Amino acid sequence: MRYSQRFILLPLLAAAVAAASVAPAAAEAPRGVFVMAKALDDLISLDPAEAFEFSGVEVIANLYERLFDGNPADPAAPAGGVVESWEVGGGGREFTFAIRRGLVFHSGNPVTADDAVFSIRRVIRLNKTPAFILTQFGLDPENLDARVRALDGHRFRLTLDRAYAPALVLNVLSAAVTSVVERAAALAHERDGDLGHRWLRTHDAGSGAFRLVVWNPGEHLILDAVPDHHGGAPAIRRVVIRDIREPATQRVMLMRGDIDLARNLGPDQIVALAGAEGIATFSAPQARLFYLGLNQANPILARPEVRRALRYLIDYRGMARTVLAGRAQVHQAFLPIGFPGALEEVPFALDPARARALLVDAGLGDGFAVTMDTRSDPLALQIAQAIQATMAQAGVRIEILPGDGKQVLTRYRARRHDIFIGQWGPDYLDPHTNAAAFARNPDNGSDSADKTLAWRNGWAIPELTEMADAAVLERDPIRRAARYRVLQRRIQEDSPFVILFQEKALIAARDGVKGFSVGLMSDRTLYRDLSK
Amino acid sequence: MTALDTSPGSRLAARSARIFLAGQQLILNPIGLVGLLIVAALVLVALLAPMLAPHAPDAQNLDLRLIAPGGDHPLGTDQLGRDILSRILHGARITLGIVALVVVIAAPIGLVVGCVAGYHGGWVDVVMMRITDVFLAFPRLILALALVAAMGPGITNAVIAIAVTAWPVYARIARAETLTVRGTDYVSAARLQGASSWRLIRRQIMPACTNSLIVRVTLDMAGIILTAAGLGFLGLGAQPPSPEWGAMIAQGREYLFDQWWIATVPGVAILVVSLGFNLLGDGLRDVLDPRA
Repeated sequence: MRYSQRFILLPLLAAAVAAASVAPAAAEAPRGVFVMAKALDDLISLDPAEAFEFSGVEVIANLYERLFDGNPADPAAPAGGVVESWEVGGGGREFTFAIRRGLVFHSGNPVTADDAVFSIRRVIRLNKTPAFILTQFGLDPENLDARVRALDGHRFRLTLDRAYAPALVLNVLSAAVTSVVERAAALAHERDGDLGHRWLRTHDAGSGAFRLVVWNPGEHLILDAVPDHHGGAPAIRRVVIRDIREPATQRVMLMRGDIDLARNLGPDQIVALAGAEGIATFSAPQARLFYLGLNQANPILARPEVRRALRYLIDYRGMARTVLAGRAQVHQAFLPIGFPGALEEVPFALDPARARALLVDAGLGDGFAVTMDTRSDPLALQIAQAIQATMAQAGVRIEILPGDGKQVLTRYRARRHDIFIGQWGPDYLDPHTNAAAFARNPDNGSDSADKTLAWRNGWAIPELTEMADAAVLERDPIRRAARYRVLQRRIQEDSPFVILFQEKALIAARDGVKGFSVGLMSDRTLYRDLSK
Repeated sequence: MTALDTSPGSRLAARSARIFLAGQQLILNPIGLVGLLIVAALVLVALLAPMLAPHAPDAQNLDLRLIAPGGDHPLGTDQLGRDILSRILHGARITLGIVALVVVIAAPIGLVVGCVAGYHGGWVDVVMMRITDVFLAFPRLILALALVAAMGPGITNAVIAIAVTAWPVYARIARAETLTVRGTDYVSAARLQGASSWRLIRRQIMPACTNSLIVRVTLDMAGIILTAAGLGFLGLGAQPPSPEWGAMIAQGREYLFDQWWIATVPGVAILVVSLGFNLLGDGLRDVLDPRA
């Protein structure tokens, strides 16, 4: 009997597949270098005018400084960032800002009003995904030169189309998209009039506490502290973010000391690590929401009964208690807790009988089949499968289409999904950020300038859009919060959005790691106080 | 060893006798027998999965997740509280289905291409074999990955991709066999009787190639299972909640340290089944290959 070695060895590969192996790596990360593991599959760009993903915005928050900084303790009063002082005139339409003195870019050049003006104009001219945050103030390429202009070296003026609530304006100017980019550096790398966009996708021209050393997509991102930073030197010399997408791998690396902090561990792993020696775990509230987006271009999902039925086909509490234990809480309104006016009622629970009755009313007693675009990370896939199972109880047959974050988002933004399951994080600390996304859709056409979440789901809502637009002009904070509660109820009752959970961040770190501040929003996750 | 008449009365009798002898030889070969039993068990499990499985493969119970093997769940439950034994049993259907489909698609294509190329020779041979070489030049899994990525994930596309990567080997074997038999006396005799090229290929040459092809296909099945599991593991094959073994491993890998059974059980299933096909293939080669 002759055996060829090859054919006997072949099945052993199966065993190798079973053991998701971890390559042996160097032990403890060196002192002065902080190594963090994070799934960076959503990192598309590091250009503040383009980045609109959690990872990109977080990194930008550490590379750049913004005009204002959000203030979670008092959302109505953001703190000055690059802007030191400001005046409101012209009937609430004219904002004059003075730049803080002594700020310097990584190149050594001072931060001037010209740079701030350039950064805002650049966002409007490039018109990438986050541009709507600024264009909502009536800025467009034609009126830009008049509406945003420098008065002198350290003062500039922003003229809005209407008298918006002041808290909204200042909070908008705390979004990552208002990061101040060094004009000279961006223009030095300009190609075909792109205002340095291609270069800035992988380089930085900011004034933040860290500068970008290198971003190797799929591998790592290295940030070096700016030792003589005007805000004081960061506690750590270098931060390395390794793109590790497997939570299990993150866990092994953490236990071996290859990394100092793991960002993507699931609830089950946190439980298992709770007793491990030398490892501390903690959680922090997040403003991110888990939600389903139902594409209204799909004639079945466009029926109100179907939209309502699907709300009763999700085991919110069951998931929050098990697969999401400690990682999320049930939340069913578009404003996360921590925002003024957030609605805390959770009227929907799993009720297949009621859902079936609604589907029968819609003439869909036999159910229907749809696809669901899902980011293929373990947690999202678990939630998707749990939803798939409960939906099946009323004959809703969901086919899960997993893809990496970038792929799934690209499909969603092109309105090519049936159901999208994913996360939404606010862009700034004002209720309008989420109202603008969930309750506004000024133009449902395919080339709309305003591609909000409602637009992505093809939901034409002139009335709600008007209500959301009116709320931003309400100057009385209490009446303004009341308006947002009305909007939230409307969206809660009937919309293409099934809001599921508000997230919490679960973090595991080596003992001795200090100063990791996880923001309510990803643009407030800062590395400057990190130490180990 | 056998009491059979060595001069069969009819073609049917000859064929039956040959199959009987081969079967007997296979059973007397312990390695081949083990392989045969494993594969037979797989087929049986696949056919009877709904009757054997204690639970529905997709039935979730979030309150009974990550339960260790034993009691009501002999192989434990996974991260969504699904019974792993039931999923493994139902997964056998998917595995067997993939293997069967790939073989049904790839083997005939390879056989025809190889026989035609070998029989005709000349430019037909050159063109067909260079095309074959193009496919052979790529590592199999990489080519399958590229194809699935282009066509979109899913089990149908995975089967097509694996089939596309599987046929060239069969074409090579069939061509080699064809070259050895096309000049033999019985082929010449048939040609002199006026048989057409297609008839010659079909009736005289193809049967001569099938033995080595069967051996090769059986040995390849393990590779097909692994490729399918690999695609499933990478999220390009069967989609959730399908209990495809590779996908089960992928979803269980997060739990390898604390709940080892979620990924290990399907891993063992893949190991056993691919080993079974390999052993059966080896046994068949001893039986069918005249040069063995």
